[in-house]
Amino acid sequence: MKTDSSAKLQADQLHIYRSGKEVLSGISFTVEGSEVYALLGGNGAGKSTTLLSFLGFLAPSGGSLSVDGVDVGTDLKAVREAIAYLPESASLYEHLNAYENLRYFLQLAGVPDDKAAIEAALDRVSLDPESRGRKLKDYSKGMRQKVAIALAILRDTDILLLDEPTSGLDPNAIDEFHDLVRGLADSGKTILMVTHDVYGACQVADRIGLLRGGKLVGEFSAPEGGRIETETVHRAFSNRTTRKEQAA
Amino acid sequence: MSTFGALKRETRFMLRDRAFVVWMFAVLCFSSFAVWSGLAEVRQQYESIAFLMDADQQDRSVEFSKQSDWGSAAYYSFHLTYDPPSDFAFAAMGQRDASSWKHRLRMLALEGQIYEHDPGNPELALIGRFDFAFFAAFVLPLILIFLLHDLQASERSAGRFDLLVASAGSSGSLWWRRACLRSGGVLLATLVPLLIAGIFSGTTGSTLISAVVLVVAYILFWTLVCLWFASWRRSAPVILASLIGVWVLLSTVLPAGSRVIIERMVPIPTGAEILMTQREAVNDAWDLPVENTMGPFVERHPEWAGYTHSGEGFDWGWYYAFQQVGDQTAEHLSEAYTAGRVERDRLAGLFALAAPPALLERRLQNLAGTDMRSVLAYEGRVRAFHSELRDFYYPGLFRGDPFDPGRLSDLPQFSP
Repeated sequence: MKTDSSAKLQADQLHIYRSGKEVLSGISFTVEGSEVYALLGGNGAGKSTTLLSFLGFLAPSGGSLSVDGVDVGTDLKAVREAIAYLPESASLYEHLNAYENLRYFLQLAGVPDDKAAIEAALDRVSLDPESRGRKLKDYSKGMRQKVAIALAILRDTDILLLDEPTSGLDPNAIDEFHDLVRGLADSGKTILMVTHDVYGACQVADRIGLLRGGKLVGEFSAPEGGRIETETVHRAFSNRTTRKEQAA
Repeated sequence: MSTFGALKRETRFMLRDRAFVVWMFAVLCFSSFAVWSGLAEVRQQYESIAFLMDADQQDRSVEFSKQSDWGSAAYYSFHLTYDPPSDFAFAAMGQRDASSWKHRLRMLALEGQIYEHDPGNPELALIGRFDFAFFAAFVLPLILIFLLHDLQASERSAGRFDLLVASAGSSGSLWWRRACLRSGGVLLATLVPLLIAGIFSGTTGSTLISAVVLVVAYILFWTLVCLWFASWRRSAPVILASLIGVWVLLSTVLPAGSRVIIERMVPIPTGAEILMTQREAVNDAWDLPVENTMGPFVERHPEWAGYTHSGEGFDWGWYYAFQQVGDQTAEHLSEAYTAGRVERDRLAGLFALAAPPALLERRLQNLAGTDMRSVLAYEGRVRAFHSELRDFYYPGLFRGDPFDPGRLSDLPQFSP
């Protein structure tokens, strides 16, 4: 496998089959350190499959994956220790409050469950202090998502994998989340997020990979000091350009 | 995190789950009730034995005071035999619910007395006794199934599975710990009432330890089965239905099927057949020539060959001789019945190796002395005692020793 030594995440000619169907057809991309990379695509494009394969939940039928230079197939434990993962609609334990959930998952990951750090993380995701001691069954979807984001922050890993992280958040919370992601990247974290939110991806990502039918059909990079143009990505995402080209 | 730290974390997590705490309380209640019902039954049996022993002595004293010959003394006196429950019988009543553990014997033909006993309680026979052995063998697996079947499926359906595994690094130890802690909780709630009852009942340490080892092994078996099914990538209802199917197979289908097979493989006469054969032989003897009785009797007891009876009128020696000949006539059936039960029990033990619930129940009954072997041992003691009674009375009946009421204090005493 060709490994880009500076890449924190690397997929090389990745093929994944699920239930006998090819979900990823030889995609290749890299995510550099301190970079936010958004994998954009519609339903069934293979976005979540890509994330799960980086975590070792799905074994490639072809190609390879590496995390921080480590092949995913060779040292899964080290790979998982290097990654904080925020699943889509992360459902934490409803019979526990925010503190108890965070402590449980941090202990599970072998990370110190420092009380001050937990408070700081919850402050950072703007979770109302009064609600932190309440059980999650009384939380809104957005509040639960904030706790899950706090968990990803507290894991304090170099790499974050975020699966539809703004799903269920209100517009204000989405803006706050984008600021948070940018801040994390600026502080040296490498972030791979998958989303179908074109606007959100353009707001926060340094680069966007467009997935369609299990293939990486395009990549967009932000200009120095600027953002990726939403209209361009949107056109590519909705396949209008391709249709025009086909018509021509 | 160390193993101890991980166990502490999972224990705290488990105890915050109200459903689990409710289940543990339910297990504690079930186990306590099962143990209590066993203790109550054992206490009742001890009280019955104490009452009968007292009544037996009084009844025999009264009867003896009225008699003036050996034949009448033997005829009108009863002798209590009993098999007291062991110090662990409260946990597994076993065959004590199906077979007699007390007989009031007379010097008459024995076979009829052994197989003519109080009819069993049909309701009890239908539903079975809810003792500890039943609870542990049949109810406990269901509780484990309910607690463990959705170990992974519930996390998948809640969308937590990937996060949990990604956080833990490897998933195997997480599910192992969770399963072991839940099963450990069940084990604790199951064993505490048993151990308390065992200590207060004076159960020997080795018996209690053996029982604990059996229950631990049994819970481990079901935990492994549940863990294997729980690892399926299927929904919780599918896994639950599959595990219930396994439970039905091991707890009902296999034991019932093996019982049918064993009964076909080893046909045995019934107790009623033995009873009827012996009674017909005794009743027929009244109308047969004396020689027809005395011939077979003397064959068995050559020492009384010199005994003569004209055949005119009633004679106690002849009467007791044909009682014994009645037993001799049914002897082959009785031996076949005993041998058949031994063989059926042996085969049931082999079949139980494929049905862990039946295996646990048999092992607990074995520890409690309530298995088929114990029933046959008690029958053996009854036969030996009856034989001693005959040895005591026969000299008076056949040699014509003068009746001496003082010698009745030398009557053999049944020793359980």
